[in-house]
Parts: sequence; structure tokens; C-alpha cells
Amino acid sequence: MEANAIKTARAGTLESMDCLVAVADSDAGRVIEISGASAVRFKSSMEKTINDTLDALGAGERLRISVRDNGALGVVLGARVETAYKRYAGLAE
Amino acid sequence: MLYLPGNNPNMLLRGHLFGPDGLVIDLEDAVSASEKDAARVLTREALRRGGFGRCEVTVRINGLDTGFWRDDVAAAVSCGVSGIRAPKVESPRTVLDLDEEISEAEEKYGVTRGSTKIFCLLESARGVWRAYDIATASPRVTAILPGGEDLAADLRAGRSKEGTELEWIRRMLIVAARAAGVDALDTVFPRVADDDGLRRETAFVKQLGFDGKSVIHPNQIPVIHEIYAPTEKEIETARRIVEAASAAAARGLGAVSLDGRMIDAPVIRGAEYTLARAGLSAEKV
Repeated sequence: MEANAIKTARAGTLESMDCLVAVADSDAGRVIEISGASAVRFKSSMEKTINDTLDALGAGERLRISVRDNGALGVVLGARVETAYKRYAGLAE
Repeated sequence: MLYLPGNNPNMLLRGHLFGPDGLVIDLEDAVSASEKDAARVLTREALRRGGFGRCEVTVRINGLDTGFWRDDVAAAVSCGVSGIRAPKVESPRTVLDLDEEISEAEEKYGVTRGSTKIFCLLESARGVWRAYDIATASPRVTAILPGGEDLAADLRAGRSKEGTELEWIRRMLIVAARAAGVDALDTVFPRVADDDGLRRETAFVKQLGFDGKSVIHPNQIPVIHEIYAPTEKEIETARRIVEAASAAAARGLGAVSLDGRMIDAPVIRGAEYTLARAGLSAEKV
């Protein structure tokens, strides 16, 4: 039996004011999962930052974005999403 | 000037709160090769966000012998940083190549041409030997700085507590900087828990004429400010010199005597510099 390899890429850390972002294939459209320090309080604004960043990069919908947050500001979240996506897509920074 | 690791959000966004005069966002030694892309994106976004208070912001790019430096320049210049710190500069050619890349980036991103300065890190014997040629290679060059660890290694000396191996180099760089009309900024003091050693070294480089010193830990900032801040006596003397010079100029006199000492142009410039370091303007004295 042959398993299909899931393409995935990460960026960031779990240090204070940072977040660890993973971007992977998705068969269910764009899926965003957020856990950690600000997951409940700032979920909607974090989702907006993630979507805005991916849209600005011309990313498609078939992506699963997982964020483990440790107090990252929006500017950090956006930067980590951008790097993770570029790594995922094989885009040079 | 406080070095901040370019891939560390906590330091990057809070470093200015420690009150340095300037920030050096480091994309070189503080960032591993596998994280250069992440650091560049994070640095660019942090620069776009701004909010660094009154700090002058510069970016230390990766060396011109790497594949990273052009992207580093683009990221920094697109955000309108004050300057680029170039590591391991060994020849005027390096400065010219960097100048050309910066010019292209300024054009591309609508930044005022010539506004991005270059700070040259001289981290080898070859670089130090050519300090004047490097400092005069481009009008963008605003300062030269001796290296620390890299330079000591290149000299096959190792880094001593007293800084003996860098003593002559510091003296030479002051002469080169003054001859070229640029600032001389000192390297970091690496032993972050040794305040007495930092105090001794800072007093020494200040006496040589260095315009400032880089730091790698926020705790070092107050020590350096304490040594570089003019004393009340120095400020008062400077104030009297400037006042005497102004009065002499008003009477059409070129030179004047104060407390038995001839006050001429270099003395006046020194007094104005002292007042500037104290945050006072010569015009308001």
C-alpha cells in the first residue's frame, strides 16, 4: 500500500511573542486552526491576518494553516504565515 | 546602538524600550542559515510597522560574499531604514557594489536617492588597512567600525579582557575616520556581566575619539550613556565658550580669550559637540 506524502512547511517558534505556523495540503478548502495564548480572545482578527497574508501572496484555498501562538502580535503572525507559505510553495523569499 | 536578532520578535519589537540611541537589526551572525528567509520577512514587517521611538534604525545585512545580501538590502531599503551595516568590508569595491544595489532599491521603492547610509564593519586586517579608502569610497559611508571577534581571529591574537589586540586598530580607525569625515563607532564589549570592564573600555574609546559604541545586551546601555554624557562642568565650560565666541563674532573678532585660553574654531566646534551630546543646541545657549 502506498501512502501519499502530505506536503507541509513551518515557520516561527514557540518563544514569547512568537508563534509556530504550519502550512499543509488540504482537501477541505482553506482550514485555519489556532491554539495557544490568544486563540480564544483574538481568533477572528488572527484569522483575518492569516487570510489577508495568504491572499496577498496569491495563495489558493487548498491549504491547512495551523498556528500555535505564544502572544504574537499581528505583524509577527503575518510574517510567520508569509514565510511558512513561501516555504510550502517553494517560493524564494 | 543595540544589536537585535532579526528573527526574535520579542527583542525586535521591544528593544527600543531599553533606551538605546540606535538599533541594529541583525540578519547576519544572529540568524542561522536556515532562518535567513524568516528573519528577513519578520524584519521587513517590523520595520513597516515602525514604532521604534527616537532610535535610529539600521540593518546588518549578510556579507556580500553570500547569496543573501541583495534580498537583505531590498527588504531594508524598501522600509526606509537609516542605514545598512555591511559586515566584513575589505575593499572600496565592496562599498561601490553595495552603493549600486542600494541605489537600485531606492529607485525601485521610491526612497529618496542617497538617503540610505552605509556603516562599514572592518573585520579583517585587510579591511582595517584600507579603512580610509573604504570610508571615502561612497558619500553614503557615514561610519566605520572595527570588528571584534572576527578581527581578533584574523590577527591570530584572540580576544583579551583588556582589548590589547585592538588598541592600535582603534587608534588607526579614528585617524582614518576623521580624515575621511565619517564617524568612528566602536565594536561590542562581549562580556555582558562585566560592567567594570565595559566602563574601562568605553572610557578608553571615548578618549580616543570614538563617537559611540555598539552593545549586545540592554544592560550595557546605561553604562555607555553614563560615560558618554558630558559632566556638568564640561557643559558649563562649553556653554561659556560658545557664548564668548558668539559675543566675539558680534563684535567682528575672529578669536577671543576665555580664562586665559585662546578660543578658536576647533575649540568652538568641540564645545558645540559637547552641547549636542548633552541634548543642548548651541543656538539656545
